[in-house]
Amino acid sequence: MRYIFNFPDIGEGLEEGTILEWYVTKGQTVSTGDPLVKMETDKVVADIPSPKTGTIAARFGEVGDVVRVGSPLVEIEIEGVFAEAAQAEAKSGSVPEPEEKAETVVGTMEVASHSAILPASSEGVTGRPVVKQQSRHKVLSTPVARAMAKELGIDISEVHGTGPSGRVTKADIVNHKAFRKPESKPSLPLEADEVTYEPLSQIRKTIARNMILSKHNAAHMSLFEEVEISDLIRVRERYKDKYAAKGVKLTYLAFVVKAVVNALKQHRQLNSQIDMENDRMIFNNRYNIGLAVDTPAGLVVPVVRDADRLSIFEIARRIGEISEKARNRELTLEDMKGGTFTITNFGSIGGIFGTPVINYPQAAILGVGRIRKSPVVKGDDVVAGHLMALSVSVDHRIVDGGEVTRFVNKVISYLADPMELLMEV
Amino acid sequence: MDYDVLIIGAGPAGYVAAIRAGQVGLKVAVVERRYIGGMCLNWGCIPTKVLLESARRFHKLKEIAEFGIDGVVVDKLAFNWEKVKGRSKRITRKLTAGVNFLLKKNGVELIDGVARIGTDRSVWVGDRRITAGQIIIATGSRPKPMGDAFLDAPVVEMERLFEQESFPENIVVTGNHVSTVEMAQFFRLIGRRVTLVTNSNYFLDGLDAYLVEEVTRRLASDKIELIKEGYPEKYAEGHLVVGDKKIKCELIVNCNSRKAVIPESEAPLQLTDRGFIKTDDRFRTNIDGLYAIGDVTGKSFLAHMASAQGIHVINTIKGIDAHFDYSTYPINIYTTPEVAQIGMTEERIREEGYEYKISEFPLSANGKALIENNTEGFIRLLSEKRYGEVLGVQIVAENATDMIAEAGAYLKGEATVYDVANTIHAHPTVSEIFFEAGFDAMDRAIHK
Repeated sequence: MRYIFNFPDIGEGLEEGTILEWYVTKGQTVSTGDPLVKMETDKVVADIPSPKTGTIAARFGEVGDVVRVGSPLVEIEIEGVFAEAAQAEAKSGSVPEPEEKAETVVGTMEVASHSAILPASSEGVTGRPVVKQQSRHKVLSTPVARAMAKELGIDISEVHGTGPSGRVTKADIVNHKAFRKPESKPSLPLEADEVTYEPLSQIRKTIARNMILSKHNAAHMSLFEEVEISDLIRVRERYKDKYAAKGVKLTYLAFVVKAVVNALKQHRQLNSQIDMENDRMIFNNRYNIGLAVDTPAGLVVPVVRDADRLSIFEIARRIGEISEKARNRELTLEDMKGGTFTITNFGSIGGIFGTPVINYPQAAILGVGRIRKSPVVKGDDVVAGHLMALSVSVDHRIVDGGEVTRFVNKVISYLADPMELLMEV
Repeated sequence: MDYDVLIIGAGPAGYVAAIRAGQVGLKVAVVERRYIGGMCLNWGCIPTKVLLESARRFHKLKEIAEFGIDGVVVDKLAFNWEKVKGRSKRITRKLTAGVNFLLKKNGVELIDGVARIGTDRSVWVGDRRITAGQIIIATGSRPKPMGDAFLDAPVVEMERLFEQESFPENIVVTGNHVSTVEMAQFFRLIGRRVTLVTNSNYFLDGLDAYLVEEVTRRLASDKIELIKEGYPEKYAEGHLVVGDKKIKCELIVNCNSRKAVIPESEAPLQLTDRGFIKTDDRFRTNIDGLYAIGDVTGKSFLAHMASAQGIHVINTIKGIDAHFDYSTYPINIYTTPEVAQIGMTEERIREEGYEYKISEFPLSANGKALIENNTEGFIRLLSEKRYGEVLGVQIVAENATDMIAEAGAYLKGEATVYDVANTIHAHPTVSEIFFEAGFDAMDRAIHK
């Protein structure tokens, strides 16, 4: 029988992806797990594995085509399977679908699911993050309204339903203030030679959406500090060759990650999120530090998972790994999942201070500026020192000024005195 | 004030409104001059379906040997019109009694007589002046007469069909309504030679062109001659003259388009160009406190729409302000096989500018249909591509008129093709064609 494999929802609330490369051709035999196609999605470039063993009967789409989640990718001829059995198997969800991420950036929206078989209706879908299930009451809505809200990025729980028992209907979505016609044109038509139009990449679309979500929902507040790190520089100088001998590049960022994790342990509000629906706080027991990485395609935020359990050496190695992957566009969803706090190292490009945007729904983000030589006062003498700039943005709904300052002071004291970092006091 | 609500006419619009009014605590009366249940119960929906059921069974019996049942001598089968008439009367009586009971149970007062609308929210019945807070006109419609040229012709209207002693050999059914096709097929099933003459450009107006084609094909295979855009001119020497055609016939059944039954009124009632009572989107006429629902408004000519309007207008009177939805009502044709449609036609979908998809699944691939030897037909699911919303459903099947109700629920709930596909349908049932069409709309049907 023939099995149609639809582009699965591989998490993150993805809606579509662009075909970058086909690994298979028509007539080729594939086994379960073999990569079929390389897709660029919102955040990553991912290989989509075959859910079946069989022969490729058809490919849908060419390189560069945008494929919506739930639309066919390939048709696989499976031998020796009766139609009904195969379909039943497909229904029971044998299509490999990576588990959904618990704290997606857009995760607080009630979204429709996009499994291969049941793309538009989220009724009865399991596997949603526990946090969401507890924090959201079920919004009554018609299936079409739900699909529209998802596509248009409208939080359906904010839509006033006029149907029976407050059911959200298609008309309610259309009348909702956030409704925008997808085909709407820029309001000021410009002469063709004055501007150049280019379609938005997946990654740019995601960044735009997430930034607005963050700025719209979090009460941003920023704090700036500088830390004198001459001691840290000496420590790094002393050990960087030994690290290099083991194939690991010792960066200042590794120390920053360690300092942040240690400080977070003492200031857990900065490693949390707020759940206003249920009037409660959600404190993260894990320390997954996201690192904003600038790539030619746009910003991505891979994660150093469980950084509290890693030594500086291990953190440095992990940073090396993800930078390499980011450069080669090989980051997987697994690499980007579950961040609880984010560090953005714009200093590596040259910046000093900035007001970073929180990676919503996290509570805080730390921007690390360029290290520069500067006169500093030591005792009563002015000496040459090295200053590292720190810019912290927090969600003031969660964290007050005093607590941020205490947190930053802690980070400063760790970076100023690497021994303290080691001693974890 | 004698009543909160006074309703003129006890057809499917009026009697349902009356029951609803009683249920929500209004003091209500209905004025009816003759027939409780109106056209629907007395010579429309119900009696014609009684005829069709007899004809259908008569026809089906001819294939009974195929089902392994011997002993039925097909040559001896005969249609007994008197008995059919009797059965129809009994059913009508039973249903009418039921409506009477419900009216009483809900405190609806029944007033015999002809109503004349007075001034200041009043109605005259004979010499009695009755006042009411709100008055609802639900007087229905009748077929348009054939015209003066047919005064001496053997024309019968549906209302008088049951007064016929017997049926002659050659019959013309004329009109453009769905009942035209039903009556034509009825006469054909009982062995008459039938010609169907539509009297306007609109043959089965509102039906999807695909279904019209299907019906046309079916008429041809039943050997019913169809003359489209034919205007009966006169009847002479046993022939109906339609343009250059002369059709031999001894009976002309008039299923013409409808004409409103307008009650006499002291206050000037505003009418539409076509002679129906003009109402706004809340069924209000130009006169304060006076509503009109059902056929008399010309907005629809279906019993179920009339009843829905009856409920709607009482809700309006009770202060529940809602928009009446004209988009999701079924159109049924009780032919063999039955034809049913709900939602938008393909033409309409195209006009609305949707990107759409049509998923068709044939009955010939359905187990239950094979068992019942009713494999003629299909389901046609029209959906919009972006979200998969179900926009329309068309069914041709033995029991299509019942099956279409499922589609109504999908449309009313703004369901998508994914919901249709993932609704588990019992096996074996003819309704399995729904989920097959749903899957077909997603990618492909299971059994196709």
